[in-house]
Amino acid sequence: MSPAISALAWLGRVVAIVLLVILGSTVLVRFAPGYLSDAREMDSRYAATARNELASETARSRSISQMVGAEIGGWIRGDFGTSRQFDVPVSELIGARIAVSGVLLLRGIGLGWVAALCAALIASLRRKASIAWQIPATVLLAIPTAALATFCLLADSGGPVLVMALLLAARDFKFLDQALRKAWLEPHLLHARAQGIRAWRLLVAHLVPALAPQFGALASLSIVTALSALVPVEVIFNVPGLGQLAWNAALNRDLPVLLAVMILMAIAVTCTGIGAVWREDWKSA
Amino acid sequence: MKLRRPVLWALTGLILAAVAVLCLPGASYAHQDRDATLASASATHPAGTDALGRDRMVRVAAAFLLSLAGAIAASAVTTAAAAGIGTIAAFGRAAMGWTTMLFCDVFLALPWMFLLMMVRSALPLTTSPAHSAAITFLVLAALGWPASARAVYRGATELKNSDWMLYARANGLTCVSIFRHVVPNLFPLLLPQFLVSVPAFVMAEANLGALGLGVGEPLPSWGGMLFELNNSPTLMQTRWVYFPVILLVVVLILLEGVAAEA
Repeated sequence: MSPAISALAWLGRVVAIVLLVILGSTVLVRFAPGYLSDAREMDSRYAATARNELASETARSRSISQMVGAEIGGWIRGDFGTSRQFDVPVSELIGARIAVSGVLLLRGIGLGWVAALCAALIASLRRKASIAWQIPATVLLAIPTAALATFCLLADSGGPVLVMALLLAARDFKFLDQALRKAWLEPHLLHARAQGIRAWRLLVAHLVPALAPQFGALASLSIVTALSALVPVEVIFNVPGLGQLAWNAALNRDLPVLLAVMILMAIAVTCTGIGAVWREDWKSA
Repeated sequence: MKLRRPVLWALTGLILAAVAVLCLPGASYAHQDRDATLASASATHPAGTDALGRDRMVRVAAAFLLSLAGAIAASAVTTAAAAGIGTIAAFGRAAMGWTTMLFCDVFLALPWMFLLMMVRSALPLTTSPAHSAAITFLVLAALGWPASARAVYRGATELKNSDWMLYARANGLTCVSIFRHVVPNLFPLLLPQFLVSVPAFVMAEANLGALGLGVGEPLPSWGGMLFELNNSPTLMQTRWVYFPVILLVVVLILLEGVAAEA
């Protein structure tokens, strides 16, 4: 397939997935048993007229076609709809937080990858898999992100970047160690090492280019893992990012905000996932 | 026998210990000892009490069993759904396979935590604790199948193109018979999917609960106990609040170990 057709197919798939995400999320929310209930309707501080207005607002949003139309309309206008909780365009809320989350993700993923790669390189050069490398990774993977973040916060050592990096490093180390260990056993590399060629030269000239597709796929997976860890990390460290915004929206049933954040996440994941496949198509073309 | 493996023995031992704790006379996860709030370990409360005077050991035992049972049930539902959808997609028309995989892509494009939060936040405001637990694991089961379905689809497609299957289909094997032969052949693929999902669901429940979106009080859950860590004065008063977290990590390591052995 030519690169142009590949790019078009990639774009088409991204658009189709995003539209399906909008449709699916809206249907999911609309048919959730508590969608038509609003916490404010139970609040006695609201006057009867205000509660009636809330009830009629809920009644207006019963139709799925209207809901999907409003959501797509919001995306076309660029304001992503209006927040139920703050009564401001969702774009204003997201715009202020997207950079904070972006920087946190970039630093966390970068640090995690460097740590995982260094550890995997050192560990894979040994003949046998050492349990000393595996134990920390296994234990870190067994600690829920929220607990890890709380421990770091209580110990006053490390911030959100470190938690994100530790989580990703533990996850990626296992894959990288396995991939590198297998690669070092390739006959041509064994022969080269027996001839006395230094490991780092083999690494740069043979190993990294050969494992590049696997590294790319793992990088895409890291982004998905990091996005899922974003919520507990930002909530516990009180980082004003998208994760905290989504959590606040979930607690206050601010579904337009939650929907907009989720669609943004879906776009990010789809672009990275399909981007990895596209890179492969490009290379083979 | 697989039970000989130390990981499974340790897990079985923990389950039996938890059942034994819950069977002790007077053991109740909701009973409050108002005179001993945030107490340290004692003969009456071996792991101390929480801020409401509830026995931490009993609550941890109940949370462990509830979480494990919920995760196993959710995992079974997910694996069964993945087996059904993956097999039908592989043996159906090409368009059906393509559409199913696109549907899986849509689910996989949504980070779990956000999807769980969205579904959880749209649930009724007056949910009982038992219902909230059921809903949490049901939501996990409903959202966990696409990754497994993809794996099953690949396995079933390979089976579909295998020589014996082509021969059987050429000889007029009916759809029901095909399924009868395909599903046992997919077991080696389904068992790891099931075992991997269990710790993933336990972890997801713990993370959701830690954010205040999991199982409702007074029903004990790992997530609810992690939520306790957000209370700094509690942490200053007793170190026993870390007990559930340590046990959770041990349980998750054991569950990962079981999955790895399979």
